[in-house]
Amino acid sequence: MELADRAVGFLLTFISLSIFTYYTFWVIILPFVDDDHFVHNYFLSREYAILIPVSAGVALLSFLSIFIGFVMLKSKKKVA
Amino acid sequence: MKHIVKILTLVMAITTLWIGLLQTSMIPSSHTWLLPIYFVVSLGCYGLLMVGVGLMNFPTCPQEALLLQKDIIEAKEYLNQKGVDFSST
Repeated sequence: MELADRAVGFLLTFISLSIFTYYTFWVIILPFVDDDHFVHNYFLSREYAILIPVSAGVALLSFLSIFIGFVMLKSKKKVA
Repeated sequence: MKHIVKILTLVMAITTLWIGLLQTSMIPSSHTWLLPIYFVVSLGCYGLLMVGVGLMNFPTCPQEALLLQKDIIEAKEYLNQKGVDFSST
Protein backbone atom coordinates (compact mmCIF):
# COMPACT_ATOMS: atom_id res chain seq x y z
CA MET A 1 0.00 0.00 0.00
CA GLU A 2 2.75 2.38 0.99
CA LEU A 3 4.80 1.41 -2.04
CA ALA A 4 1.83 1.97 -4.35
CA ASP A 5 1.29 5.45 -2.89
CA ARG A 6 4.96 6.20 -3.40
CA ALA A 7 4.81 5.00 -7.01
CA VAL A 8 1.74 7.16 -7.69
CA GLY A 9 3.52 10.14 -6.16
CA PHE A 10 6.58 9.55 -8.29
CA LEU A 11 4.39 9.21 -11.38
CA LEU A 12 2.59 12.49 -10.62
CA THR A 13 5.90 14.29 -10.09
CA PHE A 14 7.32 12.88 -13.30
CA ILE A 15 4.22 13.78 -15.34
CA SER A 16 4.09 17.32 -14.02
CA LEU A 17 7.80 17.93 -14.58
CA SER A 18 7.70 16.53 -18.12
CA ILE A 19 4.60 18.57 -19.03
CA PHE A 20 6.22 21.69 -17.60
CA THR A 21 9.49 21.12 -19.48
CA TYR A 22 7.77 20.35 -22.77
CA TYR A 23 5.38 23.28 -22.53
CA THR A 24 8.14 25.70 -21.51
CA PHE A 25 10.17 24.58 -24.48
CA TRP A 26 7.15 24.87 -26.76
CA VAL A 27 5.97 28.32 -25.70
CA ILE A 28 9.02 30.18 -24.38
CA ILE A 29 12.02 28.88 -26.29
CA LEU A 30 10.62 27.84 -29.68
CA PRO A 31 9.76 31.40 -30.86
CA PHE A 32 13.46 32.20 -30.74
CA VAL A 33 14.47 29.20 -32.85
CA ASP A 34 14.65 29.52 -36.63
CA ASP A 35 11.60 28.31 -38.54
CA ASP A 36 13.49 25.75 -40.60
CA HIS A 37 15.29 24.23 -37.64
CA PHE A 38 14.81 20.48 -37.18
CA VAL A 39 13.51 20.94 -33.60
CA HIS A 40 10.20 22.18 -35.04
CA ASN A 41 9.46 18.66 -36.28
CA TYR A 42 8.97 17.49 -32.69
CA PHE A 43 6.28 20.05 -31.84
CA LEU A 44 2.76 20.66 -33.13
CA SER A 45 1.93 24.05 -34.56
CA ARG A 46 1.36 26.95 -32.22
CA GLU A 47 -2.47 26.88 -32.31
CA TYR A 48 -2.40 23.59 -30.43
CA ALA A 49 -0.48 25.26 -27.59
CA ILE A 50 -3.71 27.19 -26.90
CA LEU A 51 -6.23 24.58 -27.96
CA ILE A 52 -4.99 21.67 -25.87
CA PRO A 53 -4.80 23.44 -22.45
CA VAL A 54 -8.12 25.23 -22.96
CA SER A 55 -9.93 22.06 -24.02
CA ALA A 56 -8.36 20.14 -21.14
CA GLY A 57 -9.47 22.86 -18.72
CA VAL A 58 -13.01 22.87 -20.11
CA ALA A 59 -13.16 19.07 -19.90
CA LEU A 60 -11.89 19.14 -16.31
CA LEU A 61 -14.38 21.84 -15.31
CA SER A 62 -17.34 20.03 -16.88
CA PHE A 63 -16.28 16.74 -15.29
CA LEU A 64 -16.08 18.47 -11.90
CA SER A 65 -19.52 20.04 -12.34
CA ILE A 66 -21.05 16.73 -13.38
CA PHE A 67 -19.43 15.01 -10.40
CA ILE A 68 -20.63 17.68 -7.93
CA GLY A 69 -24.14 17.56 -9.39
CA PHE A 70 -24.14 13.78 -9.14
CA VAL A 71 -23.06 13.87 -5.50
CA MET A 72 -25.66 16.51 -4.66
CA LEU A 73 -28.43 14.47 -6.29
CA LYS A 74 -27.33 11.36 -4.41
CA SER A 75 -27.21 13.09 -1.03
CA LYS A 76 -30.63 14.67 -1.62
CA LYS A 77 -32.14 11.26 -2.31
CA LYS A 78 -30.68 9.90 0.90
CA VAL A 79 -32.31 12.63 3.00
CA ALA A 80 -35.75 12.18 1.44
CA MET B 1 -3.18 38.01 5.47
CA LYS B 2 0.45 38.57 4.55
CA HIS B 3 0.45 35.62 2.19
CA ILE B 4 -2.39 36.95 0.07
CA VAL B 5 -0.62 40.33 -0.23
CA LYS B 6 2.44 38.51 -1.53
CA ILE B 7 0.41 36.53 -4.06
CA LEU B 8 -1.47 39.64 -5.22
CA THR B 9 1.82 41.53 -5.65
CA LEU B 10 3.19 38.69 -7.75
CA VAL B 11 0.05 38.60 -9.91
CA MET B 12 0.17 42.38 -10.38
CA ALA B 13 3.86 42.26 -11.32
CA ILE B 14 3.25 39.52 -13.88
CA THR B 15 0.26 41.41 -15.31
CA THR B 16 2.20 44.64 -15.66
CA LEU B 17 5.06 42.77 -17.29
CA TRP B 18 2.64 41.14 -19.70
CA ILE B 19 0.88 44.41 -20.58
CA GLY B 20 4.28 46.03 -21.05
CA LEU B 21 5.28 43.25 -23.43
CA LEU B 22 1.98 43.67 -25.29
CA GLN B 23 2.45 47.44 -25.58
CA THR B 24 6.09 47.48 -26.64
CA SER B 25 5.64 44.43 -28.94
CA MET B 26 9.26 43.49 -28.39
CA ILE B 27 8.35 39.95 -29.42
CA PRO B 28 5.44 39.14 -31.80
CA SER B 29 2.06 39.60 -30.13
CA SER B 30 0.93 36.08 -31.05
CA HIS B 31 3.63 34.81 -28.71
CA THR B 32 2.81 37.30 -25.99
CA TRP B 33 -0.83 36.18 -26.00
CA LEU B 34 0.32 32.69 -25.05
CA LEU B 35 1.88 33.82 -21.77
CA PRO B 36 -1.28 33.78 -19.54
CA ILE B 37 -2.08 30.25 -20.69
CA TYR B 38 1.53 29.37 -20.01
CA PHE B 39 1.19 30.69 -16.45
CA VAL B 40 -2.02 28.73 -15.90
CA VAL B 41 -0.35 25.57 -17.18
CA SER B 42 2.70 26.10 -14.98
CA LEU B 43 0.45 26.71 -11.96
CA GLY B 44 -1.29 23.41 -12.67
CA CYS B 45 2.07 21.69 -13.03
CA TYR B 46 3.20 23.19 -9.72
CA GLY B 47 0.08 21.89 -7.98
CA LEU B 48 0.52 18.44 -9.46
CA LEU B 49 4.20 18.47 -8.48
CA MET B 50 3.39 19.42 -4.88
CA VAL B 51 0.77 16.65 -4.65
CA GLY B 52 3.24 14.15 -6.08
CA VAL B 53 6.05 15.17 -3.74
CA GLY B 54 3.70 15.12 -0.76
CA LEU B 55 2.50 11.65 -1.72
CA MET B 56 6.07 10.43 -2.19
CA ASN B 57 7.27 11.71 1.19
CA PHE B 58 4.09 10.90 3.08
CA PRO B 59 5.21 10.12 6.63
CA THR B 60 4.10 6.85 8.15
CA CYS B 61 4.95 6.01 11.74
CA PRO B 62 4.52 2.28 12.51
CA GLN B 63 5.84 2.67 16.06
CA GLU B 64 3.19 5.26 16.82
CA ALA B 65 0.51 2.96 15.41
CA LEU B 66 1.68 0.16 17.73
CA LEU B 67 1.64 2.52 20.70
CA LEU B 68 -1.86 3.67 19.79
CA GLN B 69 -3.14 0.09 19.56
CA LYS B 70 -1.59 -0.59 22.98
CA ASP B 71 -3.29 2.50 24.38
CA ILE B 72 -6.63 1.38 22.97
CA ILE B 73 -6.34 -2.08 24.52
CA GLU B 74 -5.34 -0.52 27.84
CA ALA B 75 -8.26 1.88 27.79
CA LYS B 76 -10.69 -0.91 26.93
CA GLU B 77 -9.45 -2.98 29.85
CA TYR B 78 -9.74 -0.01 32.16
CA LEU B 79 -13.28 0.77 31.02
CA ASN B 80 -14.26 -2.90 31.24
CA GLN B 81 -13.28 -2.81 34.89
CA LYS B 82 -15.56 0.19 35.30
CA GLY B 83 -18.43 -1.70 33.70
CA VAL B 84 -18.57 -0.35 30.11
CA ASP B 85 -19.52 -2.98 27.53
CA PHE B 86 -17.39 -3.23 24.33
CA SER B 87 -18.74 -6.50 22.96
CA SER B 88 -20.65 -4.79 20.13
CA THR B 89 -17.58 -3.02 18.69
